[in-house]
Formats: sequence, structure tokens, C-alpha cells
Amino acid sequence: MNVDILFTHYNYIVVALLLTIGAYMLVETPNLVKKVIGMNVFQSGIFLFFITSAYRTGGSPPIVGHGGASTTYVSPLPHVLILTAIVVGVSLTAVALALIVRIYTEYGTLDERVLREVRADE
Amino acid sequence: MTDIASLRPLAAVAVPALAAIAILASRSRPNVREGWTILAAASTFAVVASMVPGVLAGDTYVTSLGTFVPLGDGSVEFVLQADALGMLFGLLASFLWLVTSFYSIGYMRGLGEHAQTRYFASFAASVASAVGVAFASNLLVLFVFYELLTVATYPLVTHDETAEARAAGRKYLAYTFGGGVAVLAGTVLVYVLAGSIAFTPGGIEGLATADPMLARAAFALLVAGFGVKAALMPVHSWLPDAMVAPTPVSGLLHAVAVVKSGVFGIARVVLEVFGPDTVSNLGVGVPLAAVAAFTLLAASIIALRQDNLKRRLAYSTVSQLSYIVLGLGIGASMGGDAARYALIGGLLHIPAHAFMKLTLFFCAGAMHVETHTDDISDMAGIGKRMPLTMSAFAVAAAGMAGIPLVAGFVSKFYLLIGTASGGEVAFTVALLVSGVLNIAYFWPVVYQAFFESETADGHDRKPLIENPLGGRFAVAADGGNPNDGPNQQSSASGRPTADPDGEYAVDRNPSDHTRSGDVGDDASETVDSGHGEHTEHTDTHHDVDDHAHDHHHGGPPAGGWERRSWLGGEGSWFVVAPILTAATGSIILGVIPGRAVFLQLVEYIVSAATVVGVFA
Amino acid sequence: MNELLPLLVAIPLVGAVASITLGSWSDRLAWPVTFLTMLVHVGLATAVASTVYRGGTPLATAVGGFTPPFGIELVVDGLNAAILVLVSAVAVGVLVYARRAGPHSVAFHTGYLLLVAGLSGMTITGDMFNLYVFLEITGLAAYALVATGDDGRAAVGALKYLLVGTVGASLFLIGIGYAFVATGTLNMADLAEKLATADPTLVGASFALVVTGLAVKTALFPLHTWQPEAYASAPDSVSGLIAALVSTVSAYALARVTFSVYTVDFLTSSAFAQEFLLGLAGISIVAGSLLAVMQTEIKRMLAYSSVSQFGLVVAGVAIANEAAVTGSLIHLVGHAVMKGGLFLAAGALAVVAGARTVEDYDGLGARAPLLSAAFAVLSLSMVGIPPAVGFVGKWYIALGAIQAESWPIAVVILVSTLLTLAYFLRLVERMYFRTSSDDVTSSTGTGATAVADGGDDTDDGLTRPSAGMVAVVVVAALLAVGLGPLVSTFEPLLEPTLETLLQL
Repeated sequence: MNVDILFTHYNYIVVALLLTIGAYMLVETPNLVKKVIGMNVFQSGIFLFFITSAYRTGGSPPIVGHGGASTTYVSPLPHVLILTAIVVGVSLTAVALALIVRIYTEYGTLDERVLREVRADE
Repeated sequence: MTDIASLRPLAAVAVPALAAIAILASRSRPNVREGWTILAAASTFAVVASMVPGVLAGDTYVTSLGTFVPLGDGSVEFVLQADALGMLFGLLASFLWLVTSFYSIGYMRGLGEHAQTRYFASFAASVASAVGVAFASNLLVLFVFYELLTVATYPLVTHDETAEARAAGRKYLAYTFGGGVAVLAGTVLVYVLAGSIAFTPGGIEGLATADPMLARAAFALLVAGFGVKAALMPVHSWLPDAMVAPTPVSGLLHAVAVVKSGVFGIARVVLEVFGPDTVSNLGVGVPLAAVAAFTLLAASIIALRQDNLKRRLAYSTVSQLSYIVLGLGIGASMGGDAARYALIGGLLHIPAHAFMKLTLFFCAGAMHVETHTDDISDMAGIGKRMPLTMSAFAVAAAGMAGIPLVAGFVSKFYLLIGTASGGEVAFTVALLVSGVLNIAYFWPVVYQAFFESETADGHDRKPLIENPLGGRFAVAADGGNPNDGPNQQSSASGRPTADPDGEYAVDRNPSDHTRSGDVGDDASETVDSGHGEHTEHTDTHHDVDDHAHDHHHGGPPAGGWERRSWLGGEGSWFVVAPILTAATGSIILGVIPGRAVFLQLVEYIVSAATVVGVFA
Repeated sequence: MNELLPLLVAIPLVGAVASITLGSWSDRLAWPVTFLTMLVHVGLATAVASTVYRGGTPLATAVGGFTPPFGIELVVDGLNAAILVLVSAVAVGVLVYARRAGPHSVAFHTGYLLLVAGLSGMTITGDMFNLYVFLEITGLAAYALVATGDDGRAAVGALKYLLVGTVGASLFLIGIGYAFVATGTLNMADLAEKLATADPTLVGASFALVVTGLAVKTALFPLHTWQPEAYASAPDSVSGLIAALVSTVSAYALARVTFSVYTVDFLTSSAFAQEFLLGLAGISIVAGSLLAVMQTEIKRMLAYSSVSQFGLVVAGVAIANEAAVTGSLIHLVGHAVMKGGLFLAAGALAVVAGARTVEDYDGLGARAPLLSAAFAVLSLSMVGIPPAVGFVGKWYIALGAIQAESWPIAVVILVSTLLTLAYFLRLVERMYFRTSSDDVTSSTGTGATAVADGGDDTDDGLTRPSAGMVAVVVVAALLAVGLGPLVSTFEPLLEPTLETLLQL
């Protein structure tokens, strides 16, 4: 196994870490707000994955005239996509937090376990 | 053979279907509602009968309703066609519906049943589906009506709305839809194998050359699927349970339309999907006949031990239906005249059994309406009370056993000749043994009714029923749990068991003797309906409570049966006349089978199915 | 007609803005504005669909003048034209129902139109990333709509839906990322060409992720966990709409991606792709039905029933021959009508009798004859009684399975009839053959449960269903029966599309 791959592809390692941590938080924490944070971490992993995929070694920003025609550019498309995805992510977070606020006013808790008990008595 | 484009096959299906809607619409006026039933029954029969001469002349009436589930080049035509085989079943169902309609009215009004609108509407819908089954031109159309028939009869089985009726309904749907799934699977398989599922006399061409294993699988699926409604063992047990339904339902549907639709399906599969030729090549006819032979013997033995009359009749139905299946199975696997005789016998038994069994059920229902007697052990001396009814019963029972001059003899004779001359002596023996058993379980009923007395020492003991293994005791005759059968009489006293509501099966449905002979007077009906269905229901339950004090059980009243005259003093003519009609029908079929249209139809069918085969 | 395609998304978006602006001025304007928007939408959708079916060729347009594969393309062919009309028509129907049944808030109507915009976008887009964006718009609108129920339960249901739904969409996005890395393009048609020659490992991983993501949205077992609670806690109109459309369009997206992006060649040639889908479908059919039988709450039961029915649809997609895909599309449309109708009928019956659980259905046949009859007809159609549409879909899928000689799935498909019967029969039996144990539910425990269940029947004091509500349910029942025979006219229209999709 080539150890170099760990150093040349460290971005992907971070992606994997973010995805794992995010997913773990999402599943494991009983706190609803932390679940939403976990969701954000998970999405950040995806964003990083896309941005990394756009990168070309020695590439320059894809702005014509800046570095001349002969230079390698990084791919501009993933940046645009991720910009959209970030907007989507922000909207999701907003809706999620709004729902959590309502749950809190209704049940007075953010803890999933307590919530389950309260609702079982309903 | 020509195809005649005609709307008549469609009309035969549409008239009862529309009648169901009309019946629902006129639910608040019982007389109008019953008028629709009679009108629809009469016109359905007229439409079907009007096609008989053409069909006998070799024509086929066809209504094409366009394509159904097309796919690429292939498509299934949604066509209704009145060919000879379809006519056999269609004519039977529509004629007996007319007879049963009158009986239903007398029966339902005589008992003051609840939800009569639902009953009559479902009945009309069931007949529409049955005629649809008869006139289906391919397996898919047949399947469509086969499933609709299941749905339409479900409310009739569950009519009583008691726990046991619901259980019977669930069992009924589970069995028949299970069968439906098998039919669907078989249909798809045939379609994939042969590229066509249209009924063709002599069999669909592509099937003869198809992969034999898959073809056998398709045959097994189709026959197993139709076998559920035909009550072949081991999938017969819904039928005795379904006897919880009102007697006209047991009579028309569970002795004629529903069970015959299963048998009819098998007939179509054997004669017009696979064809006798392919069936014999695949070697699937004899196993089918063997299952049928087992069923007819086992069911006869079980019938011996049933004390409840309707349950005994149900097992008798299971047994008799297998005569038909046996005829088809064996007929398709032999050659020459023997095959022809066996097929004729099997098919002719469809109408023969229908007439006789309808008579028997009508009689059972008449006894229930008039005297609330459901158990054979309570029927000693009942011949005095209901002379005409019991005479009709005796005639039909004789026919069942194959006594000459009644319908059953002719068909059984053909079956015996067919099996014997074809060398299948084992089946001949089975048929003969079953005939003896038929006598054994029907004769006691007739004997008791006329030659025994209801007084304490006026009748003999019934060892088969009273002994430890008899039907009255905890060991269920069908081998199951004693409590699983709705009508299983398991208490040692010989009295019907109370159902969970504390009502007795016999008295669950209230009756009113003063009204039974007076169907024209429906004042109370109208009042009930005026309150809407729900009120009607509550009223009914009040009745039940009142009656529970009067009659706890059937059987002779304290002073013995009163003697009634032979001229209809025994009950409403609405009940007696249909009994006599059906009984007369059984005799006509037995005395002059050549004149009655059914034998001609059957001969025509058999020659069409075998003429293209090797037997020609 | 080509240039009108973007309007299918734009009209509901504009309508959403209009309804919230006018609605903030006067509450009572929200419904009329929404209804008007939907009428325009349904007209346009019908016009587009009829052009496609009459012309026999797909309509396509590049949004903003950027030519594909760089720009976003909108495509309507025979497969999605039907879905488009379905989305539009069902949305109109549910809106009529919601007129009296509620919710009446402006936010509901805005969310409603946003949902329609998202669904229409998902249906007509020809670009993978665009599909993701519309998937999320649909999701966001659906989460918000579920939460329009008044109580805490709806909020909890919506949050669970949001968390699971977002994970699903994220998996879908990663899958797109893999496909993008492998090919450098996002246009579906372009992807289909380039994926054929791309690194099979990347393509396989991408397929697995995309399918898993869409399976979450479609709610296939075991990824269905969000669905029962979301459907059960949402107001009746919303559960009707979401049950009829959201999973349907997701399942359509699954079919579209499978055939138009990864192609049938990939499905059949690559190891485990087809088996993966078939396994998912088969388990869904069986497990969904078994779970449905175990439910006591009607709306949860219907939700699990959807899990099972979508298993059937995906099975058809996985079998991928002409008959099976035809069946999938028919069942997709049929199921939307039937399940939407069932949810709306359940809502209306709750208004009549406070009936929210299986036990509450005792004797309903007498109390609400028309609604009960419609419910029974819809149930029987779902079971697959011919000639209703539920049967026709099943016939094609079963035919496809047997033609493909994939026996295990064929058995599951056929037996699913009995499984479906198991959970619908008990309702029909209770409605017609049992009498209600307590006729006055409002003062008893059952009535109280109905309130706690999050029904909208309490907030606006509806005591009996309006004529509009009953009419919508009855129309759904009639359609469930009537669409079956109509398939024979529809199927030939579908054939050219299927030939392209399945590369026949």
C-alpha cells in the first residue's frame, strides 16, 4: 500500500471524516439541534468532495485573461453547483430549526428520548 | 361455425349489473326493488335463451368491447362470446336465478331479514359476474369476472354480520383470492408460452409445442386456482363454512353459480385452453381425475356425519362437483368414444347437479323458514308438516344418488360408461361407491321425515351422528378444530351452540309466522326502511331478543308436527313454487334428457373439442 | 410548445409569490389564487402532454439559451408527460378537497404551490444536478406542509422527515458527484453516452448511491422510516397530496435515472445492479404489507401500504422489459389516484365519525354510505380486482416478470395481492359487517384520540364533509375503476418512448 496516497489525497480523507462524523452525529445524538448540526457537517463533506473534484494540479482560477490561454484551469462547474447546494443546505437548516423551535414550545424539550416519553403519554 | 356480432352477450351481463344499481336506488321501496329483481332475472333469461337456437346451429354470438391490456403487437381482446360451453353455464345460471329470485323474496321476507337491499343488489351483481364468467372469450376476461364474482358474493356470505359469518367471509375471500392469484399466474404463463389466451375449441395452438414443464406448471396453476371455487380437496373447506349465508345464496351461488364457475373454469382450461390432446400428452388429466376421485369419496364420507342439513348438503356439493372434474380429467386423457362419454357425463352433470342441489337447498331453507329446523336429527316426522317440500327433497336426493328417471342418473350413467369402456375401472368403482354413499347420507333424511315420528321413541338412533366419532361430538368431521366450523354442532345435548352473542344460530334471524304466508304485506318493511338502514338494524336486534324467549331451537313443537295439506298449506307459494320448479327440472332432465336443451349443448361442445384432436 | 416548458415550473412559483403577497393582504384570497394558478398549470400540462403523445417525439428546451450539455435541459417524453398531468391533476383535486378540509393558512397555500413547482421540475428536468435541486425544493415544501398540522406531532413528524430526507438527497448528490467525476457532464442524455465508456467502478458506485438516495425519497423498505409518521401526523389534505405525488415522482425519477442515465445495458450487464433493485423491491413489497397489517391507525396503515406498492413499481423498473415498465408507469399513476383517494377518504371519514383507527371503522358503511363505498372501491382496486387500474398495473408487471423468467419476483408480485387483501379486508369488513360499538364518538375516548391524532377536523369545526370533499373522493374512486380499461388507448402512445428508453 502506497502511503503517499494519504498525503496526496488528504482532501478525500477529510471528506470521509466529515461524512462519517456527520452521519454519526445525525444518528447518535439525542439532541435535535445537534442532529441538525450533524446534518450540516455531513453536507459539508459532500461540498468538499465536489470542490476537490474540480481541482487540477497547478490549475488557476477559471477566469479568461488572468493566466493566459495555455494554463490549466480548475473546473468551474462544481463551484457553481456547490454554491446552489449551499443555498439548499441553508434553507434546510432554517426549516429544521423552525421545526425544532415549534417542538420545543410544544413539549419543552430538545431531547429525543424525553420527547418519545412525553409523546407516548399523549 | 360463424361468429355473429351481437350485443346480446353484453346485454346478458349488463342487465343484472344495471339491476344491481336499480335495486340500490330503490332501497326505500321494497316492492319496486323486488320488481327489479324479477324483471332483471326474467329479461336476462330471455336474452340468454334467445341465443340458444343460434348456438345449437353452430353460431357464436360475439360482443367485442375493444382491446384490454395491449402490449406491442399482442393484445388481449375484451370480448364476450356466447358459444356452446358458455351457453351451458349462462343458460343454467340465468334460468335458476329466475327461480331463485322468487324463492329469495319468500325467504327473506318470511324471515324479516335485515339489509335486504344489499342482499338483492349483491345477488344481481353475482349473477352478472357469473354470466360474465360464462361468456368470457379468453382467460383474462374470465379472470376479470371470476374475481368480480368473489367480490360480489362476499357480502352475501357475511350477510348475517355475526362473528361466525365474518369468519366465514374472511375464509371465503382468503381461499378464493388465493385461487384467483393462481389463475392469474397461470393466465400470464399461458400468455407468455403461447402468445394467446383466447379460448379455442381443441386447445390453443402454441401450448402444444411449449416447454412441457412450464405448460404443466400453467395447467397446475389454472386448475388449482379454479379448483378452489370448485371445492376440490384440500381447498374445499370454505364451502361448508359459507353455509352460514342465507339459504338462497347457498342454493344458487354455493351450489350453482360460484362453485360451477370454478368447474366451468376447469372445463375451459381442459377443453379450450390446453385441449384434450395436449392434456393427454402432458399427462395431467389422470392426476386431476385422481384428486377428484379422492374428493368425491372423502366428501361423501364426511357428509355422512354432518347433522346440520345445510352442512351435509355442502359436503354433498363438494362431492358432486368432483364428478364433473373427474369426467373432465379422465375424458381428456383417454381416447375415442370413452373420452367422449366421460366428457359428456362430466359436463351434463353441471346442469343436473344444479337442478337437484338447488331443490335440496330450497327444501332446507323452507324448513328453516317454517319451522326453524336445521338439524337432521330434529326432522323426524317433518313430512307431515311439509309434505310437498319433503317429496321434492326425496326426488332430488334420489337423483343425487343416481336413481333412474332423475337428472343425476343420466350424467352418472355417461360417466360410468366412459370410465369403464376406457379401461379406467378404478374410477368406475369410485363412482359406484360414491353412489352408495350418496344413498347412505340422503336416505336417513327422507326416511326420518316420512316414516319416523317425532315422539321420544318414534325414531331410531343415529349411530353415525351420535357415536363418539359422530358429527355431534367434539371431533370435527372435517378433521379440524371442533370450533372452526360455523355450523358445527358440537354440544352433547345436540342443540345448536350459542354463538358469542348468546344467540342461537337458528334464531339469529327473527321470523314471524303470521307474515310468512303474506308477502304482499310489507307494511313493516316500509316502516323500517323509512328509518334508514341503521334503524332497521336496531329493530332487527330487538326482534331477536323477543324471539330468543319463544324459540330456543328448531325441531318439532311441543305437541309434535301439525299435519298440513298437500296443496300448499305448508308455506308461502313464493317458497314452494320454486322448489317444485327445480324438482320438476331435475325430473325432466332425467326422463327426457334429449329434449332438454342441455344434453344437446353438451354433445355439441364435446364434439367441437374432440373433433380437432386425435379422437376424430 | 417547446419554449413553454419552463413555465410549468415558473407558473406555480409565481403563483406562490402571488398567494403569499395577496394572502398577507387578505387571508381569503390565498385559496382562489392557488386554485387559479393550478388551473393554468393543469391546462398547460395537458397541452404539453397531448402535443407529446400526438407528435410521438419528445419536447425539449434549453433553459436560458445555454445549449446542453452545458446548460440545463427540460425534456418531456412519453414517460414523464403522464406523470406531469398526474401531478397537476391530483394537485387540483386535493386543492378542491382542502377548500373546506383545510389547512386554511396562507403558508399552506404557498407551500402547496412550491411543492407543485418542485414536483413539476423533477418531472421534466433533463439534468442530474437540476434534479437534485428540484428534489430538495420538493422536500422543503413537503416538510413545511407536513408541519402545517397544528400540534407538536406534526412538527416531530416533519423533522424526522427532514432529517432522513436530507440524508437521502445527500446520498443522491454524492452519486451525482461520482458520475460527474467519471464523465465531467451532468446532462442526462450526455451522461448516458459517456457513462458507457467510463470506469465501471465509479459508475457502479454512482448508481448505488443515486438509487439509494431516491429509494429513501420513494420510501422503500428499509429506508421508509420517515414515511408513516410524516403521513400520519400531517393534515389530511397534505397526506393525500404527499402520498399521491412525492413518492410517485421520486419513483419516476428512479426510473428515469435508471433508463435515461445508466441505461438498460448497464442494468443487465453490470453485476448486482439489477439484483440490487429487485431485492429492494421484493423486500419492500413483503415487509411493507406485513407492517401495514400490524398498524392500528388508518393513515399509518395506508403509509405502509405505499411502501409495499412502490416495491411493485420498482420491481417493474428493475425487470426492465416493455411489459414491466409499462406496468410500472401505470401502477405509478394508478397508485397515486388510489392512495391519494384513500387518504382523502380517510380524512373525510374522520370528519364524519372521528374514525382514526381500525376499530373506529366499525359500522361506518351505514353512517357514511357514499364515502365508505368509495373507500371500499379504492381498497379493492388497490388489492387488484379487475378491471380496476390496480389490476392492470399488476398484470403488466407480472407479465414482464414471467417474460423475463425471474420467478422469485414473479411469485412475490402475484402474492402481493393476498398481502394487500390482508390489510384492506379487515377495514371493509368492519365498515359493512360490524355495528359500531358506540354511536356517539365525540364524547367518548375515541373522539378524544381523534383530536390528539392531529386531525384538522377540530380546528375549523367541520362537523361533516363538504360536498367538494366527497366529490373528490368519489371521483378518485371512479377514476380507479375507469382508468383500467382506458389503458388500452394509452399503451400504444407509450410504445415509441419505451422503445427509446429500453433500446429495443
